[in-house]
Amino acid sequence: MLLPPSVGWRPPPVPRARPEDDVTTGVYRSHWMIVPIQVTAVTLVFVALVGPILNTFGFGWVVMMAVAVVFGTLAYALPSWWYGTFGLREDHLVVHGGLVMRSSREVPLSRLQAVDVVQPLLMQVFGMAELRIEMAGGDATAVRLRCLPRGLAERLRVAVLAHAAGLPGRSPEAPEWPFYRLPFILLLGALTFRVPVLLSFILLLMLATAGAVFTEYGVIGALLPLTLGLLRYFWGPLARYTDYYASLSSDGLRLRYGMFQRRMQTVPPGRVQAVRVVEPLLWRALGVARVEANVAGYAGERQGDSATLLPVAPRRRAFALVNELFPESEAAHVPLVPNRGPVPSLVGVDERLFVSSRGLFCLVTEIVPVERVQTVRLVAGPLARLTGRAAVDVDTPPGPVRARAAGREAGEARRFLDALVEYGRRARVPAAGTERWATRSTLSRRPSGRPPRGEAGADTASPEVGGPGTGSPGSGEPETGKTGTPDTPDERGASEADDTPGR
Amino acid sequence: MDTSDPTPPPNPTPPEGRDPGALREGERPPADERPFEAAFAPPGDAPWSRVSPALAWYRRIVVGALCLAVGVAGAVLLLLWASWPWAVAWAVLALLGLVAGWVLAGLFHRSWGYAEAAEELYLTYGVFVRQLVVVPYGRMQVVDVTADLLEQALGIATVRVRTAASTADTRVVGLPLTDAVRMRDRLAERSESFSTGL
Repeated sequence: MLLPPSVGWRPPPVPRARPEDDVTTGVYRSHWMIVPIQVTAVTLVFVALVGPILNTFGFGWVVMMAVAVVFGTLAYALPSWWYGTFGLREDHLVVHGGLVMRSSREVPLSRLQAVDVVQPLLMQVFGMAELRIEMAGGDATAVRLRCLPRGLAERLRVAVLAHAAGLPGRSPEAPEWPFYRLPFILLLGALTFRVPVLLSFILLLMLATAGAVFTEYGVIGALLPLTLGLLRYFWGPLARYTDYYASLSSDGLRLRYGMFQRRMQTVPPGRVQAVRVVEPLLWRALGVARVEANVAGYAGERQGDSATLLPVAPRRRAFALVNELFPESEAAHVPLVPNRGPVPSLVGVDERLFVSSRGLFCLVTEIVPVERVQTVRLVAGPLARLTGRAAVDVDTPPGPVRARAAGREAGEARRFLDALVEYGRRARVPAAGTERWATRSTLSRRPSGRPPRGEAGADTASPEVGGPGTGSPGSGEPETGKTGTPDTPDERGASEADDTPGR
Repeated sequence: MDTSDPTPPPNPTPPEGRDPGALREGERPPADERPFEAAFAPPGDAPWSRVSPALAWYRRIVVGALCLAVGVAGAVLLLLWASWPWAVAWAVLALLGLVAGWVLAGLFHRSWGYAEAAEELYLTYGVFVRQLVVVPYGRMQVVDVTADLLEQALGIATVRVRTAASTADTRVVGLPLTDAVRMRDRLAERSESFSTGL
């Protein structure tokens, strides 16, 4: 976690691109190994299910039918592997698939929301990986390229991100700065040190001893759900976030984690729609927190999979990440106003951020940049109207963050809504979009805090910089995508500032 | 409270005598003494644009048909299987439901309002849970007009606006068909000109 100060920071040596590394042209398909794997799996299932029945007719039948199944599967798997191709065409990804129903998709990479490289255990054994390109349309629009050779998946990820940034696809990978490495001890300790987990552990032990002492088998009925719950909430995150490493680059946030399922997530700048910092009761004593985010691509089941940006981190690191995600803003400086309701909540809005902090036991701080707010709602239910109160809902694309200012007096709530609308109007300039981020000046570091809006508009006129093959090192500029806020002493102490690249 | 001070609040206190046809009469206390009216006031000086009364009739027809079907069927069955007092009780219950639905349809219709501000669409609706929804034009992803058979017969349509957030129900119901089409075109055009990506 502690790294040498970055005063003498130099970009890492960029490896010379070899011609076979160039993935921007040509046609690619999955690893050939997928065909024998599919054939073996289908044959094994067939032999296990139908084999016993066939064995009554004689062993010869089993062998004969198994051979028939092998050839039948091969006749399907081989052509479908051969015809399932994909490749890059300019800054579009073209994916062909299907044998009977041919399908062809062309994906504009400038619209991608996140890129993940996932390696489940079996794929790690065979040196394969899955590339997931998340688009904003939700579950159905994500592109999943399964069973790629590992090297190809990595190179394709780099090319895809370069295209999304508006650079030629052959540009080298943007350099990264280490942000946080999670020690295993901290992960283990933090996951154990939570009230529900501790209670479940104690209950489990008590029940097990009681069952053993009185030889009462009824306790198994209670042990089973407890064990399943612990597997889900203790072992699950433990295995998932082992060897967790986060780094920052001009291509956004890069996360690598997992033991049995190795993952590498890349969330480009501006793709994080909202963030929440969760501090459960006992974690506050440890001074650690968890960071979760709404990313438009992570829909459906992947929302729970990928929405966590930092599973466990010291509180300062967590808020430092928030500052990195939302540059030119400072969540700690937003003035918060308490409500006078039974459920305490603090809410504040400034020109860049909406911040709400609530919870008696589990403290949840939700941060939404005003330019990312989709709709704002003022809601007053029948009970709230009796007490003269209303709530302001701040809607973002679906995810774990549901920002809300609850239990406000009606007039105050309306002023709040008007402030959000007004700030959102100012922040939402057309040039502030995040497509092809490397070609924009809005995301680069500026000497002053205020963004020069006029310049930003001029830059978007030329979204394509350079032709392919120029090898422009634009993505390697250290300032792109970095925060423009001055380091504040309260959030980034002297010991923490070492991760910020010197200029 | 201090947070919102730096903004110029568009108009928290609406002018007196706004919107004569709609919710309240003139005898009510001024708006700043009724915090909820002030909180759900339209932006700027213009009053809420109200939707067509056909919306109330739409709901009344739906509720009426439902209550009639349930009342008649239940009463006949009760008459066959039980005695006539049960059937009468059931019919009275259905009638009460009809009256409640009738009144609520009127209230609901009057609670609806929309206003097209410079950069946002404001909507207000709800009888029990009152809502004010602000949708910036630049955030609109899809704008479409739908009208089912009964709506077509009454000559009204629904304009539905989709944003990337799925939690908000952003639609304008009960607009006359030509107005709805015009509004859709307006909103689509503005969503194009204010577009800022996701």
